[in-house]
Order: sequence, then C-alpha cells, then structure tokens
Amino acid sequence: MRFTPSPSPTAAQPVGGTRHVDFNPVTRVAGGLAFHTVIDHDRREVVESAAKATLFRGYENILQGRDFRDAIFVSSRACGACGSSHAAASASALEMAMDIQAPPMAIAVRNLLLAIENLYSLPHHLFVLAGPDFSEPTVRATNPELWERAQETLAAGAHTHGYARISDIMTALTRVTGQLYAEALHMARIAREGYVLMGGKYPHPQTTVPGGISSTVDTSDMNVVMLRVTPFFDYSRKAVAVWNDLIDFFYEANPRYREVGARAPNMIDLGHWDDPWAYDASYDGASRWGEARWATPGALVDGKLVTSDLQRLHTGIEESVEHSFYEDWSRGGGEPMSADNLGNRLSPNHPWNKSTIPAPGSPNVNGKYSWATAARWDRQAMESGSYARLWITAVANKSPHRLFCEPTGQGMRLSIPQASLPATELEWNVPQSWGAFERNRARAYSFVHAALVSYDMVLVCLDLLRKGEGQISTHYKAPKGSSLGVGFGGAPRGLVSHHIALDGGEIEDYQIVTHGTFNASPRDSSGPGPMEEAVTGTPLLNSPYNESYIDVLRAIRSFDPCMSCAAH
Amino acid sequence: MADKNGKHGNASSILPDRATRGIGLEELVHVFWVSGMSCDGCSIAFAGASNPSMEQLQWGTVPGVPKMVLHHPMFSEDAGDDFIEPYRQAAAGTLGAPYIVVLEGSVPDDESFPTADGFFSSMGAGGFGPTPGGDQPNRVTEWLYRLAPGAIASIAIGTCATWGGIPAAAGNITGSMSLMDYLGKDYRSTAGVPVINVPGCAPVGDNFSETVITLLLWLRGVGYPPVFDELGRPAWMFDQTVHRHCPKAGYYEEGVFADEPGDNQCLVEIGCWGPVVQCNIVERGAQNHMGGCMAAGGACIGCTMPGFPDKYAPFYKAPPGSAISGGISKVYGGAIRRLRRMSMKTGNREPLWDNAEEIPSPWAAAKGPRTNTDKFAAYFYKKLQYNGSTHHGKRYKKQPLPKSRDILTQMGVDHSQSVDVLREKARSREEI
Repeated sequence: MRFTPSPSPTAAQPVGGTRHVDFNPVTRVAGGLAFHTVIDHDRREVVESAAKATLFRGYENILQGRDFRDAIFVSSRACGACGSSHAAASASALEMAMDIQAPPMAIAVRNLLLAIENLYSLPHHLFVLAGPDFSEPTVRATNPELWERAQETLAAGAHTHGYARISDIMTALTRVTGQLYAEALHMARIAREGYVLMGGKYPHPQTTVPGGISSTVDTSDMNVVMLRVTPFFDYSRKAVAVWNDLIDFFYEANPRYREVGARAPNMIDLGHWDDPWAYDASYDGASRWGEARWATPGALVDGKLVTSDLQRLHTGIEESVEHSFYEDWSRGGGEPMSADNLGNRLSPNHPWNKSTIPAPGSPNVNGKYSWATAARWDRQAMESGSYARLWITAVANKSPHRLFCEPTGQGMRLSIPQASLPATELEWNVPQSWGAFERNRARAYSFVHAALVSYDMVLVCLDLLRKGEGQISTHYKAPKGSSLGVGFGGAPRGLVSHHIALDGGEIEDYQIVTHGTFNASPRDSSGPGPMEEAVTGTPLLNSPYNESYIDVLRAIRSFDPCMSCAAH
Repeated sequence: MADKNGKHGNASSILPDRATRGIGLEELVHVFWVSGMSCDGCSIAFAGASNPSMEQLQWGTVPGVPKMVLHHPMFSEDAGDDFIEPYRQAAAGTLGAPYIVVLEGSVPDDESFPTADGFFSSMGAGGFGPTPGGDQPNRVTEWLYRLAPGAIASIAIGTCATWGGIPAAAGNITGSMSLMDYLGKDYRSTAGVPVINVPGCAPVGDNFSETVITLLLWLRGVGYPPVFDELGRPAWMFDQTVHRHCPKAGYYEEGVFADEPGDNQCLVEIGCWGPVVQCNIVERGAQNHMGGCMAAGGACIGCTMPGFPDKYAPFYKAPPGSAISGGISKVYGGAIRRLRRMSMKTGNREPLWDNAEEIPSPWAAAKGPRTNTDKFAAYFYKKLQYNGSTHHGKRYKKQPLPKSRDILTQMGVDHSQSVDVLREKARSREEI
C-alpha cells in the first residue's frame, strides 16, 4: 500500500500473527469496492476475505413505473465505464419484450460500437488500473530482488514492444509518468473518437434506440471509424508482448506467482456481437442465434465447457441477498414464475422473479456486508470477463465468424493484418493454471480479439452498405399487454444481462445482472463469491520488511472489477 | 442564458478579487476526487479530456498551472488507509497545501439517519480523525461537509453532482440531491467561490479540464475572471442552446424533419430537445472535436439540464412544444427552402456554362440548358445582387468561349474506342 524505496532489513520489523487487514477502498477499480481480509502473517497467506460493494443508487427502483423508452437511457447510466454495453443489452431486452427486430445494419453498428468499447476499456485496465502494480516504483519497494533481476533479464518481445529489458517495461508501467501508462490514455482516446462518430458520446451513448440505432452513418463515418480501429492491430499485439514478457519473468523468478488470485476456472459468458442475419431478438430462438454470435455464449466448470445454450445459461442465473443490504423479496407475496414460456424451470431467485428492496445497515462480515447481490449460475460461483469470452469461444469452437479469429478447441488463433508492423499470427492457449497473472495475459489476448472483431465489423458494415442494406431502424408501436424480455449483452469486463417486465408501455420490473455482480459477489449459502475465492489463499510474496500486500491487490485488480455494474 | 444576440451578462461578479486569493498555488494543487452516487462516467470523461489532458495536469507541464496531485479512487497509486490519509489531512486542515474538491455523483440523504444505520455511499472506514479507528464505513456525505469548506474550489462534475441527475429521479429511495442542494446557498470556498457546476451525463471531458485550468490560471493571476452563469455553469460553454450550433439546425430552419431514427434531418420530431437545452457538445464535439449527440444522429435528451431526466422523459418522444414550433417551421421553412434551391441552381453552374448554354458533366445530377424561367429568375437575382455595386459579371458576356473546350471530340476521338487508340491519336498529334 504505502511504498517506500527499498527498505533495509533493519528498517522495519515484519508483521506477525493472524490479523484483519482491510482495503477500504480498493483503488484502481471502477466504482466503490472495499475488501476485508484475514491474513496469517506467519504462513504468509490470506485465510479469509469478503468483497464489499460500498455504493447503491437504486437504478432498478427508478426504472419501475417509467415509460419503456426510458429503459435504454436510464439503465445505461448505471455504469459509466461500460455504458455502451448496458444501452445495447437494454435495447435487446426491449426488442424481445416488444417483439420487434432491428435490421442487420443496426446490429452491425451496435456490434462495432461494442467492439470499439473494448479498445478503450481493455488497455485502460492493462496499463492504467493494473499496470502500476507491476511498475518500477512498486516492484523496487515491494520486491527489491525482483527489480535487481529485472535489470538483468532481456525481454523476448523487444522487437514488438521496443523495451530491451524487463526493467524497462516496469519503468514504462509507472503511473502517470510511464510511457505505457500515457500511451494507454492516448490510445483510449483514439478508440473513443471512433466510438463517438456513431455513438454520439461516450460513456453514455445517445444513438441506441428500440428497434435499431439512430446513427446517421455515412461514408466519412465509415472511413474515420476504420482509421480509428486499425491502429489497434499494432497496439494490441504490443500489449500481448508486454504482458507475456512480464508474466513469464514473474513465474521464472518465483513459480508461486501462479497461486496469486488462483481459483478453479469456473466461468460464464453470454456471448457477444450478434450475427446481423441470425439474430431476431426472440427468446424461443436464443439457443440458435446465441451460437451464431462472434463470441460464443457458454459456461465453463473447471475449464470444461458445460453448455453453450443461451436459454440454459439464462434460466440458470440466480441472485440471493443473504449477505447483501436488501430484503428478501420472496416474502413480499406474489407467486413466482416457475417456468419460462418454453417450460424451462425458473428459480424464485431468477431475475425475472426478483424485486429490489434496499435495506441499508452497518456492515458485518458474518451478516450483511455488501450492496452487491450474490449472483450464481447453476448454484456455482462463476467469474466473468473478456478472458472468459475468449476461453469459451475457443473451446466451444462454434463461432461461424472466422475471418481473423479461428477457435481451435484448445485456444484461439488470431490473424493480425499488416499495419505498421507486418501481418502475423498469434495464438492464445488455454492456460495450465488459473490466477491473477493468467487473467491479465488472457485479457491482453482478448484485446487483440476485440481489435480484430472491430475491424471485421467495419467490413460487415461496408458490405451491407454496398448491398444497399443501410436501413438502421424499425418503426415500432408502444407495446400492449404484459410481456417479458431479456437482453443478453456483453461489456469489455464480461457479461451484462437486462431483464425487463413490461405492462403495456410501462416498466413493471427491471433487473440488471453483470460481470461485476458475479465477480464481486458476497457469499451465498453455499460459499464465497469468485473474487473472495481468489483472494483467500493468495500468498504474500512481497518483502516482509515492507508489508505492502501487493499480491492481494494484484489478485483483486486482475478481475478488472466494476462495482458500478455490480451494485446499481 | 444568453440574450438573442448570444451575449451574456456578467453573472460572475460574485467572484472575489483574485489578487489576494492565488496564494499558495505556485507549486501544486491537490485534487480530492469524491465519488458519491456516481457511475464513474465523469472519471472516464476526465480521462478522455485532451485540452488539457488528465496526465498533462499531473505532469505539471501547462505553464502557469500548478501541478495537480490527484487523489482519485480510480487512478491513485495507494489503496486503503494510505489512500485515505491525505483526505484525513485535508479534513483536519493539516495538508499544508491548497486543494480542490471534485464531486462526481449525487449526494444521498445519508446524513438524515444515524451512522449505525448504514449508508448508500461510503469511502474508507474508521472515522475522519487524523488516525483511523475501527472499521465503521465513512459516509461520502460526511467527507463532503468536512472537505468542502477548506477547499479553494468545490467543483461538481456531471449532472448527478450538479443537479441530482438520475439517482435523484422520480422513484429514487436514496433522497439524492446535488452538491449545491447539500452545501446550501451560502457555501463559499476559501477563495470565495460558490460551487462550480460542469453538467452533462456524462460531461464532455474538456469542459471539465478547461474549467479547472481556467480557474487556476485566474487564481494565479493569468487571464481574466471566468464567467459563470446564474447556476454556476461556465457561461462560455453553457450559455447557448445546443441547437444554435447543431449541424442539423439548418434542417429545422428549412422545415425538414427526420421521420425515423437514422434519418439525416432535424431530430426534433423523433424526440430531440436541443432547441431548449444548454450544452456545447455539437460545437466542441464529444472527443477531440469528433462526434456529439446530434452530429452522430442522436436526439438530445437534455442531460446537461437541472430538469434531467424527468422533465425530458419519455426519451425519443417528440417534445410537446415541437408540435407548434415544428409546424411553423414547416410552413416558413418550406418557402425558404424553395428560394434557396433557386439560388443554388445558379450557384452550381460555371459562368462559362451559362454562356455556352450547356453543362459538360455526364453525372446524373447535372441539368441541361437553362429554362426561360431560370433566366428570368437569374435576371432579377442579379439585379438584387449587384444593386449599389458594380456588375463584374457583365464582362462574361464579352468573354469568348475557350477554343479547346471538349478537346477529345475536336480531335475526333470516339469515346467508345480503347485506351490504346486514344494514346495512338495523342502520339500522332505530338509528331505534328
């Protein structure tokens, strides 16, 4: 936490015994997060932990009773780090409930915007939020021996990223003054220039509407957006080269870095980037159009694919509030829906059955301690992230869109076109172990994936325009009767799903479940949430003479937590 | 709000004489970023700013602007108590350097219930004293009333902090309000400045960073006092309606409106509130002068205004006033549009084409010789155009047509012939 230059062994006495250590707030994450841990300083590892969301705003309550048209613009504002994803998920949920279908060009533009959002968000995490934990000032203070070693270790990817030694990478990762830090802020702006040409503004886009997009896409927009996407061919592979070198260096120096943030690879994603021709916003067809997405939906248990069926993924979602500052809604009366319209069983804890009843109180790790609900899939704690999307798409091997990205069943082959650097092929393979470092490595590869999907989507848009299929919105009428909808969306940080119940043109209930709701879950009756699992058991590998708990923070930040998404 | 000529009154006369206020700002200024009921969108907006950028301010490379020491939950180095420590020092008055408080997100009504009953928004734990004690969460609301009085400025960024925004919308159960609501009318910073409001959901990043350096430059004695309007908005950004600078405003003037999202015309009839909303996003752009809601085709939903969201909802539904104003604009706009098309018809012709009475363009859009009506209209148009001036255009009458016009036909080239034949002809011409 507080870093001072390399301490001498006599400068401080190592902390001993088992103590409570609180990180309140955890910084360099989005939104309000605090972590409570119990650390055994003699065994030098975390023995207990609790993830606390420290903010509640009441979006689900505010959405109730509003006009259906407000859903997109109000719900998008639940999160300013990935507002685009919420807008798109909300539009899909409305389209399902209203039984309208956005034309192919609208889906392609939404995909393009969603993909570009990754190009700002992923480097922002890798170099602005997580990067400083691996920077020169941090490593010098927490592990002087690693800094010595880094100065003598040549970087294998120097020809791609331009840094001769590992220590040069660490210097470049320094917060505010480092080259890689400044470059990430600069490149995020390039991506956002592309975004706002069609989205109007960022973070909260102004052009996502029910039944399509209100962007006026012309030749100049396509040209400039394409030119904002292509610099990411070189930049994203540079990110991969940096993180590969950095991670391999840490592993070689101490294999125990694999244990930082380790947990079983149990993951979920709802897929991303719809096929403009297959997607019809229907619930009945979700299993079909879900598997036609650029990124395949799915659940991994212990790294193995359990399903890629969107309906099964959807009906398996549950939220509980045993340790969250809410009242149990089931006591409120009203018979819960026991099945969806296809007869798939729905739990009383499914979002379609949930209502939000906040009950603020003093936090107590044995009682209620977080504003996040405990989201589970099939009763299991699942993590979500851009890396889960990459992993599931790779092992499911079902994506029909293979122009640049070829799933292999064990990994993903990424063909990067020539830009300033010559064309090349990268391959991400399912890792042998799963922890903080592999999350960051896989996130770097998912950055390349997103750059290639962005470019692919530019080509899809150009193709549609060439064929005269530029229609971008559908006429709709205010809905009648009661209806349900769900939007299966994705953010750079993982899945986003919006669940809506309409009563005519009025929103009766609105529920938002996100990557953050899964990742930052508090405990439920069967056990801890994913971040809690990952932090518990994390070893303290820093110098005991400067107890920085840096590896605990690396473990937390490797999830790229977004608490605005988690608790709304 | 500006008058019809776009001039604004000097609403910032409330600002004190800066001569005595810039003391201590020579070296650096701390910025304490406080997140209330926020979505972090304003932080993301600030990270996207480029005039100046977040990192430029922290590097201290803008001449005259003190280096910014940014304490920010999303960007700071330290975590936990180490991160909170400077906040404690500022609250205790022991920081020893000037600071600005920036609030992102609205202020919940947390102070209305006993501390033991929890919070809607908290940051840090263990009380507000010089050393932390216990793990009781610290309410953001209490940070605010402890930090704001000692700040050289308190800036509300984004519509939640400036006007309450979505967390304060109908149906909220958090009692959310704006920073001005919370601190009250009498609040002044140590430099004598009331709460400064940079609205927008999310705001344009440059609007915020420009406000910060304009304020700092003025406090340092560089530049003139920034002008704030009656609600504490930077007047140079927010004193005009967004419609006045909208790239689609011309469609409104000519009475042509979009029927469906994605249409290129004025968006009022599909739900744009731009004519009555104070904002600069289409003029400044959303990011490096690119984008901006209506520029991209998005209707304005009033997100910079104190009435947002409820007074502009349902979104993407035509505003009530548009039935009258849009109807009037269709009538007079239709007439104006037709007159303009006539002017454009003559403007789209070289004077040479008028003399030759033909247009050499094979493109579909080009029209043939002028009709008598065209000539009649052009006659009176010129009368007006050169009234009280000299008619230089008359000289065209005496101007002979260029002799090498339509060179390929003169050379006897059949345009259906191959390129090779054309080259052969050209070569034989060179030999002569």
